[in-house]
Amino acid sequence: MSQIEIADVAIEYCRPNSDDTFAAIRGVNLAVDKGSFVTVVGSSGCGKSTLLLAIAGLIPRSRGSIRIDGRDVQGPGCDRAMVFQDASLLPWRSVHGNVRFGLELQRWRRDDIDERARRFTELVGLAKFADYHPHQLSGGMRQRVNIARALAVDPDVLLMDEPFAALDAQTREVMGNELLHIWERDKKTALFVTHAIDEAIFLADRVVVMAKDPGRIKAIVDIELPRPRSTAMLDSAAFTGYRHRLRDYIAADIQSLQLVGDAA
Amino acid sequence: MTRVLERHQALISGCISFAVILLTWQLAVALGFVQVFFTSTPIRVAVAFWRELRSGEIAANVGVSLYELLCGLGLACIAGIGLGVLASWSRTIEHILEPFIWFTYACPIIAFYPLFIAWLGLGAPTIIAIAFLSALTPLYANTLSGIRNADRDLVRAARSFGARRRDLFLKIALPGSVPIIVAGLRLAAGRALTGVIAGELFGAAAGLGYSIAFYGQKLKTTEMMVSLVMVVILGVILTQLLSLCETATDSWRTGPGR
Amino acid sequence: MAVATDYARRRAPSIGRAVDRYYGALVSTGSVVAFLVVWQVAAARGWVNARYTSSPSQVLAAALDIARHDDFPHHAWVSFSEFSLGFAAALGIGLPLGLALGTSRRLRLFVDPPMMALYTAPRLTLLPILIIWLGIGAASKVAVVLLGAVFPIIVNTMAGVRETDPRLFQAARAFGASRLDTMIKVLVPGALPAILLGIRLAIGRGVLSVVVGEMFVSEAGIGHQIMNYGEAMQVGHLMVYAFAISLFGYALTIAVRLIEDRVRSWRPEP
Repeated sequence: MSQIEIADVAIEYCRPNSDDTFAAIRGVNLAVDKGSFVTVVGSSGCGKSTLLLAIAGLIPRSRGSIRIDGRDVQGPGCDRAMVFQDASLLPWRSVHGNVRFGLELQRWRRDDIDERARRFTELVGLAKFADYHPHQLSGGMRQRVNIARALAVDPDVLLMDEPFAALDAQTREVMGNELLHIWERDKKTALFVTHAIDEAIFLADRVVVMAKDPGRIKAIVDIELPRPRSTAMLDSAAFTGYRHRLRDYIAADIQSLQLVGDAA
Repeated sequence: MTRVLERHQALISGCISFAVILLTWQLAVALGFVQVFFTSTPIRVAVAFWRELRSGEIAANVGVSLYELLCGLGLACIAGIGLGVLASWSRTIEHILEPFIWFTYACPIIAFYPLFIAWLGLGAPTIIAIAFLSALTPLYANTLSGIRNADRDLVRAARSFGARRRDLFLKIALPGSVPIIVAGLRLAAGRALTGVIAGELFGAAAGLGYSIAFYGQKLKTTEMMVSLVMVVILGVILTQLLSLCETATDSWRTGPGR
Repeated sequence: MAVATDYARRRAPSIGRAVDRYYGALVSTGSVVAFLVVWQVAAARGWVNARYTSSPSQVLAAALDIARHDDFPHHAWVSFSEFSLGFAAALGIGLPLGLALGTSRRLRLFVDPPMMALYTAPRLTLLPILIIWLGIGAASKVAVVLLGAVFPIIVNTMAGVRETDPRLFQAARAFGASRLDTMIKVLVPGALPAILLGIRLAIGRGVLSVVVGEMFVSEAGIGHQIMNYGEAMQVGHLMVYAFAISLFGYALTIAVRLIEDRVRSWRPEP
């Protein structure tokens, strides 16, 4: 049995001041195996973040079910941890204080909190910066704290919503490598939403492609590249093949974003 | 040398400004543009200042006014922040309190001065009450606003870890609102000082405001100026202290990025 | 990526929604009514000394009395004209000065320290000396209002100018705008929200100044009446006047708030 089972999930909103509904996602079915790294791609508005938030239990579903290890998702829980695009660090706490934050909220034992916080701060390479405050850190470093905070609570599932989108291209590449490095240790089930096709292929065992209007899953591509991944693979024929396939899937949606229509 | 000059630019220009003002003042009177009766002269004021300082008059007046100010401000902090916290917890409480808080803000408290005298007698308690009511609103409003406007991203992140309402309040809203509350404190201090002085003008038996009115009745402008200068100095010291507080509590916000 | 948490809402039955929207107003009104009831009962039953606290019924009676006997329009007019003159002068001096200080760093360097010193001190301390300079008539009150209102205007205008996005200036320069053009088309609109805030703060200070000024010494005006009734312990009458002036100040503040909201809606979020 897969660890995450998503069956016929739909999330609909009422438009403000009117009676019609707007479907962010509809008819989504997905099964994710334990220990696999799944990325979700698609153009803007296809509902990939919405899906992730629903799995995290932060927004309610209109229809369908989401089960993790057989348990229905009713709200946030200690079995899942989320890494947002915005690092969302408490500015008045140090790095160490921030990594402790999730542990405190989940009421871990006092001794464990400090020990785990220290351990995971070290894991993401920020041991020397443990007493620094967020405003003294770069964007990449802040995201590392964000990741450490999520890992520290020992979730069964790691959910990441475009965590590297706000970083520059080089930092992004470095962070992707490091993320895999860290992930290889425990091989937690991970769901990673991104815009960047290369990033999606590089990190994943499977890539889920979503389309919009309404938000739905268009295709699922298994990535048969060997692990551990290296940046050299980016130039391989297999990688390029995947890249083309995914581009084609997404191309249809990009069409609707055209700035200037064809002349009549 | 120029580096030192640059860093203390504000201080230096401030000193120059004051020097110019004092000089103009002295000259204006000396040359007869302004009657000495109306404004006195810096020299006379300085002499009177020294005299009052030595006799302890200044200390007594400042002491009384300061005491009234701190009591009123302190009470306003407790009530304002306390009520602000309550109101942030429940919208019903907020709506219940709202008309009264805004009345305290819109209404010149001093208008009810005779009532305070009747209830609390002439002297410190009345002034403290006026200062308290004057300072209440900024503290309440800023506490409420600071807690309500807790950073959305932080709240969302905390919720994803299963934070409950109490956690959100204690760990995010409250610490995050400290800068705004301190800013409210600065506003409240100004209003409290105004309340103290205005109250004392109308008939306390001691204090800086009282001494201004007292000497005013006797048309002794020199002594009036002494007390006036003391009030200004007091206000400046108060504001500077609070500004320091503000930067101290805000230090985690300075810097690039957030 | 848009976070849908903001507008995910369960549909409420339409009547529930109406109550929801007016809930705040209902509770507030209810609380004021409850207060008035308690006040009236407490005064009638003697739980508090009605001579000192008056009661809603007495205040109403006083209002009628004032309407009939007191020449309220005269006093209101005196206060209103003193306030308006002082406030207009404050605008006339404060806005240009604030703009000048905001744009010129050198000017700011020298004018800031003494100005800030005066700003932090309550202007009401100058009341006695203004009386000596300008007498007990309207002139001294206009002066107090002027001094009370001018500083928030200057300080906030200055802040508004400094906060205007410098990139807007760059864009204007890139299009070859003259200094005057820049000032009118970029500076003033950019600083407008802050200027309006300053005006709103100044209103409160101005109203306070005129009332206290008149209470201290004057021949007519709302503050004058307040002082008279206060000394005669006619609390009901005092409250009517106090309420009137509060209402006036509050109404003005609301008006400026509305303008502020209008202006803010034009601005993009920073």
